Amino acid sequence: MKGTIRNKLIAGFSGVLVLMAAVAAIGGYAVFSLRSDANEATRVGARLNSLALEIQVHNLEAVRKVKNYLAQTGAAGSEKKRQMFLEEAKFEVNEIQSLAAKAVALATTAQSRAKFSKITESSKEFDQSLAKVVEANQTAPDSENAKSALSAYEDAAEDLHESAEDGEVIGHDASQKSLEAIDHTSSQSVSLVVGISILGLVLGFAVSYKLSRAILVPVDHLKEVAESVSLGNLDIAVRRYSEDEIGDLADSFSRMVTAVKFFRMEAELTQAEADASSKEK
Amino acid sequence: MSALSEKVVGLSKPYFGPATEQFLARQCKSHLKIELNDLGPTHLKDLAKWVELGAGLIMDQAKGVELAKKIASI
Repeated sequence: MKGTIRNKLIAGFSGVLVLMAAVAAIGGYAVFSLRSDANEATRVGARLNSLALEIQVHNLEAVRKVKNYLAQTGAAGSEKKRQMFLEEAKFEVNEIQSLAAKAVALATTAQSRAKFSKITESSKEFDQSLAKVVEANQTAPDSENAKSALSAYEDAAEDLHESAEDGEVIGHDASQKSLEAIDHTSSQSVSLVVGISILGLVLGFAVSYKLSRAILVPVDHLKEVAESVSLGNLDIAVRRYSEDEIGDLADSFSRMVTAVKFFRMEAELTQAEADASSKEK
Repeated sequence: MSALSEKVVGLSKPYFGPATEQFLARQCKSHLKIELNDLGPTHLKDLAKWVELGAGLIMDQAKGVELAKKIASI
């Protein structure tokens, strides 16, 4: 394709348009990607927080059921009620283990995974100590063994409560971090969009500058040549800067200047010959 | 005008424009002592030499050399 001014302008403006589209696409993708990351962090944070709260609720329920179970110890005709409280407490412990496993799978940091794993372990200990309390109560409720089992259960319950609280803190932290991630993403997006816009402006300006120089420099040169010739100076070189319409114009102008120079020289020569001839006569 | 003369004029036109025929006629008459119409293949080498010299006076030297080469290679 010949490098005509029309083609140069089309190529230049197409280049600028492609550049702007590329800049917009990069900016859009980057913002979308950042937003997607922030959304993921928010989703995980909110879910961990919710799981931690659910664990805490089930923990409190489990402790309450066990307390009810123990309160019924020794009461006549309360076996059915006790059994019901015990089953409900076990159900709560199972729920805690299930929720903790979900939280471990969801957690993104080693620290939060460790905290939720601790809840699983504590709930297992709680379950085991509860089984010992039940066994001791069934055999000899007032024995040393029963008291020791109850004490171990209380320790396990306390441990599970603390673990659940830790989980709640982790869930809260995750939620808080997700909010920070959103703030960070917002500020990053602004910086990115501003940066990419500046880059686009600089590149667009560079392309426009190059394009305008490709047209203006040869035109300026032709203007200087035309001015010089119009003032009578024919001894000026006409340069062909580019292989386009302006280059063709430069060639035409050069031909014209050459012809004018020749005709002037020819006229001077003819005049000199005429003068010499008249002198001879 | 002979075919050869027309060919030389055609080659020189982009360099001299409206002064082409007059320029070539001047070179032929002054240096080769012939009319432009009588230009023959044996004159081309000499004409090229004089065109180079004459063109060098009124246009860019490189262009004069370029035209002379074209004429000599006919």
